[in-house]
Amino acid sequence: MKRGRTPKPAQGRAERTLVPACPTGRPGRLQRHLSGEFDQLRDFPIFESNFVQVTRLGEVANKVTMGVAASSPALELPDLLLLAGPAKENGHLQLFGLFPLQFVQLFVHDESRWQLKVKFRTGRAFYLQLRAPRETLDREFGQWVRLLYRLRFPSAQGSVPFTQEYPAQDWEEQDDDEDLTPEEEEELRTMEARLNPQASELWGL
Amino acid sequence: MTYAYLFKYIIIGDTGVGKSCLLLQFTDKRFQPVHDLTIGVEFGARMVNIDGKQIKLQIWDTAGQESFRSITRSYYRGAAGALLVYDITRRETFNHLTSWLEDARQHSSSNMVIMLIGNKSDLESRRDVKREEGEAFAREHGLIFMETSAKTACNVEEAFINTAKEIYRKIQQGLFDVHNEANGIKIGPQQCISSSVGPSTSQRNSGDVESNSGCC
Repeated sequence: MKRGRTPKPAQGRAERTLVPACPTGRPGRLQRHLSGEFDQLRDFPIFESNFVQVTRLGEVANKVTMGVAASSPALELPDLLLLAGPAKENGHLQLFGLFPLQFVQLFVHDESRWQLKVKFRTGRAFYLQLRAPRETLDREFGQWVRLLYRLRFPSAQGSVPFTQEYPAQDWEEQDDDEDLTPEEEEELRTMEARLNPQASELWGL
Repeated sequence: MTYAYLFKYIIIGDTGVGKSCLLLQFTDKRFQPVHDLTIGVEFGARMVNIDGKQIKLQIWDTAGQESFRSITRSYYRGAAGALLVYDITRRETFNHLTSWLEDARQHSSSNMVIMLIGNKSDLESRRDVKREEGEAFAREHGLIFMETSAKTACNVEEAFINTAKEIYRKIQQGLFDVHNEANGIKIGPQQCISSSVGPSTSQRNSGDVESNSGCC
């Protein structure tokens, strides 16, 4: 995921290590979806993961893809939360909502189960459990924890305590890519070339 | 599913006028009396058939509350159609139309088709805005007008589909450049459409509806 780079403690913006938005270094499903149909959102740097929505007690409900995005590359931190899930009619990923992060709070709900709590200013809240290959769950969840810490304490970036080093690994995303038809693969390659994963740099996560 | 065009719509108007309910009725054919306040933008999508062409409507349901407005107006850009909604039982929502209209005109293409909607037409006994007032406002500002009920589904299909028909008519007339993304129109995947679309002979389709069906 790190493409041979090692994350370091967050420093000044210019010094911060930047990593691709997606674990494989290529655009995630959400970013590809936006690229296809949402012209206005397609160039946003996005950090995204696949989750399942769970009840407070951990019972599994439905699949959700959650991402955070910056509406401008000049921003130090993401300012939007994106939620997507399978469309009822065909199961294809569909964007459900775009929410300014100033009206959303992210919490760790249960670290041992890789669960986050998402709470809107309106009081509405729900729980999401990260869905990723077992060997990368902790690492990916750690990125979300670091993100929510930064969102909560934006001025304390220099003292972010997430400093562990991650080995560079090659692994495949656990999503539906395996089922792609040759045409879809070709479309994906074209899209990847257009998106250029390096543009999807994150906020030192 | 493939489509000839994708049209971006925005739904705007005061909080509580029924924007999210209209979207839910159109996309899911159901009414939810209690709905969380929308923050930011929520999305819906549905295919319709206009003049023999499959068209995907990508609908951006925006927050109506004043505190979210400065953020959501930035997403008006690139819309081909707008549903500007007021509540016929709340006069103030009608009085605020000018401000919404100014916002819409300022932040989107001049060709954007705007449908003015007086919602909650099922609440006739509580009516506070006459139908004629809505019609007059629409006439004065060059909008299309309908009264709808998200609760009974009256005119909901018509509101969305008539807007699409008007956008499609403008495409045929060459008023919309379908290759300019700023117009809120996208040509569907693997479609080969010349920029000037000739009129079609097919007039009736499964998703098509008659204008002004008169249920309200």
